[in-house]
Amino acid sequence: MSVSAVNATVYNDRVVRQFAIMTIVWGVVGMLVGVIIAAQLAWPELNFGISWLSYGRLRPLHTNAVIFAFGGSGLIATSYYVVQRTCHTRLISDKLAEFTFWGWQAVIVAAAITLPMGYTQSREYAELEWPIDLLITAVWVAYAFVFFGTVGIRKVRHIYVANWFYGAFIIAVAMLHVVNNIALPVGFMKSYSVYAGVQDAMVQWWYGHNAVGFFLTAGFLGMMYYYIPKQAGRPVYSYRLSIVHFWALIFTYMWAGPHHLHYTALPDWTQSVGMVFSLILLAPSWGGMINGIMTLSGAWHKLRDDPILRFLIVSLSFYGMSTFEGPMMSIKTVNALSHYTDWTIGHVHSGALGWVGFITMGSMYYLIPRLFGQKQMHSIKAIEVHFWTATIGIVLYIAAMWIAGVMQGLMWRSINPDGSLTYTFVESVKATYPFYVVRLGGGLLYFGGMCLMAWNVYMTAMAGVRTKAINSVRIPQPQVAHA
Amino acid sequence: MDILFLLVSISVLLVLAIMAVFGWAVYNGQLDHLDREGERILHDD
Amino acid sequence: MAEPTAFGTWAAEHRGPLSVDDDFTVLDDPFEQQAFTTQTEKEGTLQAQSTLVVQGMYCAACADAVTAAIAKAPGVLTVDVSAATRRVTVTWDPMRTRVSTWARAVGDTGYRLLPAADAHTLTERMREGRSALLRLFIAGFCTMQVMMYAWPDYVAAPGEIPPDIAKLLRLASFVLTLPVLFLAASTFFKAAWRDAKLGRIGMDTPVSVGIIVAFASSTAATFYPTGSWGSEVWFDSLTMFIFFLLAGRYWELKARDRTAGALDAIMHRLPQAVLVRAADGREQLISARRLVVDDTVIVATGQALPADGIALDDDVTLDESLLTGESRPVHHVTGDGLIAGSLNVGGPFRLRVTQVGRDTRFAAIVSLMERASTEKPRLAQLADRIASPFLIVVFLLAIGAGLVWWRIEPQQALSVAVAVLIVTCPCALSLATPTAMLATAGRLAKGGVLVRRLQALETLAKVDTVVFDKTGTLTHDQLHVAQAVSSPALPTARAWALAGALAKVSAHPASQAIVKQSDPVVHPALSAREDHTGRGVSGRDAEGQLWHLGSWSFATANAPSVSSVAEAPWAGPQVYLVCQSDATQWARFDLNETLRPDAAHTLRALQAAGLSLALVSGDQNAAVTAVADRLNESDLPTAPEPLRWLRVQAGASPQEKLACMQQWQASGRVVAMVGDGVNDAPVLAQADVSFTLGQAAALVQNRADYVIQSGQLAEIVAMRTAARATMRVVKQNLVWALCYNVMAVPLAMLGWLPPWAAGLGMALSSLVVVVNATRLSGDGLAHTAKL
Repeated sequence: MSVSAVNATVYNDRVVRQFAIMTIVWGVVGMLVGVIIAAQLAWPELNFGISWLSYGRLRPLHTNAVIFAFGGSGLIATSYYVVQRTCHTRLISDKLAEFTFWGWQAVIVAAAITLPMGYTQSREYAELEWPIDLLITAVWVAYAFVFFGTVGIRKVRHIYVANWFYGAFIIAVAMLHVVNNIALPVGFMKSYSVYAGVQDAMVQWWYGHNAVGFFLTAGFLGMMYYYIPKQAGRPVYSYRLSIVHFWALIFTYMWAGPHHLHYTALPDWTQSVGMVFSLILLAPSWGGMINGIMTLSGAWHKLRDDPILRFLIVSLSFYGMSTFEGPMMSIKTVNALSHYTDWTIGHVHSGALGWVGFITMGSMYYLIPRLFGQKQMHSIKAIEVHFWTATIGIVLYIAAMWIAGVMQGLMWRSINPDGSLTYTFVESVKATYPFYVVRLGGGLLYFGGMCLMAWNVYMTAMAGVRTKAINSVRIPQPQVAHA
Repeated sequence: MDILFLLVSISVLLVLAIMAVFGWAVYNGQLDHLDREGERILHDD
Repeated sequence: MAEPTAFGTWAAEHRGPLSVDDDFTVLDDPFEQQAFTTQTEKEGTLQAQSTLVVQGMYCAACADAVTAAIAKAPGVLTVDVSAATRRVTVTWDPMRTRVSTWARAVGDTGYRLLPAADAHTLTERMREGRSALLRLFIAGFCTMQVMMYAWPDYVAAPGEIPPDIAKLLRLASFVLTLPVLFLAASTFFKAAWRDAKLGRIGMDTPVSVGIIVAFASSTAATFYPTGSWGSEVWFDSLTMFIFFLLAGRYWELKARDRTAGALDAIMHRLPQAVLVRAADGREQLISARRLVVDDTVIVATGQALPADGIALDDDVTLDESLLTGESRPVHHVTGDGLIAGSLNVGGPFRLRVTQVGRDTRFAAIVSLMERASTEKPRLAQLADRIASPFLIVVFLLAIGAGLVWWRIEPQQALSVAVAVLIVTCPCALSLATPTAMLATAGRLAKGGVLVRRLQALETLAKVDTVVFDKTGTLTHDQLHVAQAVSSPALPTARAWALAGALAKVSAHPASQAIVKQSDPVVHPALSAREDHTGRGVSGRDAEGQLWHLGSWSFATANAPSVSSVAEAPWAGPQVYLVCQSDATQWARFDLNETLRPDAAHTLRALQAAGLSLALVSGDQNAAVTAVADRLNESDLPTAPEPLRWLRVQAGASPQEKLACMQQWQASGRVVAMVGDGVNDAPVLAQADVSFTLGQAAALVQNRADYVIQSGQLAEIVAMRTAARATMRVVKQNLVWALCYNVMAVPLAMLGWLPPWAAGLGMALSSLVVVVNATRLSGDGLAHTAKL
């Protein structure tokens, strides 16, 4: 299957297909786990007393599955697709690309096994123990080689902006993963981090926020800059702005981390730095959002008829909302209310379901038919239904969480005239119950939409397989320059 | 806050690396003719 | 537009500082030289005039350095440098020196001279833009990081930050300031060093000193906090004001493209490489300079025609506004003659070359504009003279303020001294005039109005009297011979033939009409033909008889006894042909002239604006009065205000016209003259401001300040408005530059201006000037926003 890349005449879409299918599969799995733990928060007895169904173990399974399995597969699938097509060359090494696929699936399966079993480093979004971390590093190095190597052998001089975002994402994640996970192994599935105490917290949230910034933002912005113009049939609103946006984002993301540690043992001045830079981050983020949305300038009518475009554009609205909400929440006074409440969960999920989810779904709806030789998805109506179901789901989810979060914050800080707390913690938990139920409803809707998508993808793929329509796409040959 | 010795050093090195990359981009012509490049995405690929 | 993609290798060779070790011998090659040099003869000696682009020049101080370097070379006669367009025009003696000699002299001072065409191909502006962008990025990025490391110091309570962490943060700031200093700010240091070697203080000298002082003291404070420099670090202010300065310059560079660049874009619109189709149908890309007559060029959409030629395809659409002032696209068919420099706004087509290079009208326009752009208007010269002493004063003030503060509060002394050095901006003063004038010149050029002297913009704004010639000015330059009457001794046919043969050497509209209507086949051979401009033409026929063709007074000069029968009243121009040795042989040509359609409207508009109008013509009374009367006619429902003429004069000889003008000027009037460029040359030269219409006069000989190629008189009104707007902007700029400096320096001295604010101010002040000038280029700020 490996063809010498330099002489190749067709793109390698096989590995793209593999990752694309698994994106859908892991999407269903990850969201299912999410729905389960959401139900458990309302009805804790739903762990049935079984250790590997307990909330503490399933939660990291959920986060890892949606971020790395669903999000990660989607990013790798689209990055392989985009880099080949914008560089007019096949991937530099089919073998290594194949390795990244199986390696990544191995990581996910390992996570699915070890996390419910209770093996964890207890680092948020980096719970996996050291052997899996090593596997991740190996896969990531291979991924970096494939991606940058392909850019290196490109036949088009200009490197399209999406590739810059993907590239930054790959390098940043590599650095973050390595630095954050340095640990001393003491057993097959046990290690101790080299960091401790408040130093550890600082490293963790330097990792955590940059993971959001580079994995969940930069990477998916790369996706956005390719699939929106393609689906809309219009170039990015201002290509110049997209370049400026990229560099501005790179500038500012580094130091926003401390905003996760307001009013903790972290020194005040460090917290302030985090706050200021989080606020500054608002500008470049919104630059990207405006750029993407305004791509439709003069063609808004397309939103009426094209549900795929709707996924893509609405994802940007959620992106804008989250990148406004985030800086607001990083202001110390606001954070004093929101920290540890469900508002934070609401914020995460508006970004995750709204931005990451929708942009991935929209991109997959564009990609999958083409990967299976079909003109379009099996059912456009199903996409429509998916869109509305998911949107309502998101709205229910975040509304529930906002109300719950603010309520919790207010309840926790409420003090009687004599100085004692007005409410016990349990009282705030009881008060939150109805919102957990509503959130579960929202989550179920979102999950249902995902299942509908899985069915739609299955039908599309089967149609392609059955009619042997899957074809290799020829790489445009460079024209001899004569002018 | 001794961890800052690590984080600040990484950060400074990163800054230098990023500037080097930007310099490469400028002199490699990556930032020329940006309008044309934006349109190119719509061509067949 | 076809562009060779050589920028990769070229850019790699040319990144970083300008060390010029080219030997420039290529500039001596006659073939190469023809692109940027003209040779003229003045007072019997051969002189060459070259216009080149100066790479590496930024401001007026650099301009001085370049001027000084070139002027020192023997054989160089005059040097004119424009900082705004980065061009130099040098007149030199080809017997005593070569281009490479003085180009090398300039190279030694750190500037590179390039032929303008080459500079554009290699997109010298692109190269400059790139390194400016990189410097800006480095400065901006590092400024943000340094600011971040400085922040804790500002917000933390004293002692809250452990000393080792505090030192770490300062060290990080120091490391991140280094790239800003050595990569980004290097441009200031290089310029200051260049000036220092020439023994002068330039624009970048105070800035460089300020930066170095701030950096030195901050470094000392970082490594020796208990030393005498104190423990204040300035890395954040330092990087910030370097960033602001570079940002200001970067935007200025881009904005300059909208002012001088508009002119530049026109001057360089010819493609460097063109697609030529050989006889066998093969197409090849060749350098435009290698085109020869009869080549077939394929002109792409959006490309300018590289040469004059004939269209070989139908359905050609061109934008000829630069050449003719015609703003609407013009359609052509196979066989039409097309002009170099017009823009192809339709589909691609084939062109057969008939004229290349310097012989095209476009080349004449370009060289006119280039020379105009190197000229330094009066106000600019004034501003430059102020710049150098001003800088010395600033240095003294900085030192003085520093010393005073040392007594009061030593910690502030450094900050104040640095602020004073950074905040001043004489550059704004120097840029004030040229940017505005070039912006207007560029905009006018796009509409087909050529400005030969930038200074004329200032004069035009002050004009209070406008003198019009009649023939070819108020009337169309196309005349028509209505009838020819000859004496019995001279057959009409022979009269026509003689007149036609004589008239061929005259550019006068009457002559052209005669030539057009006579049959060239029967023209007799004449010798000793001479054009007495403004009066007529003389020549000898085969029998040796001297004939005069022209005005009555000229025609009868040597034959006063011509019968008065020859004269007859005619409401139009009349031309007489008289044999000087035989007064019985005479002929009279009565010509019809039509008023230009916008003549009346233009005159009324000028009158309404408060200007005095005069009509002075060499033609005889009847024709002149007829025209004056017709100008007052109008088919508007309400009779417009009648024209009140300051003077209407007919039958004026060139000397009389000149005397008239001098009289008005002596009485304090600022006089503009509108003529046809060739026949009124001395009078036009005497006027304070001169206009010529149409394209009759060859540009090379045209000495008028303004050439209105479209022939639309109404342009005069628009141009006056433009000139007044320009001068308004110039005054605004000058006032701003002065006020800014006058206010900013004391503020800095009083300690109210932290260094970063000083940097911001300096950057903004010259940016304001440039942006204000872009308002004149027509597209205004909308264009600037796209930067």
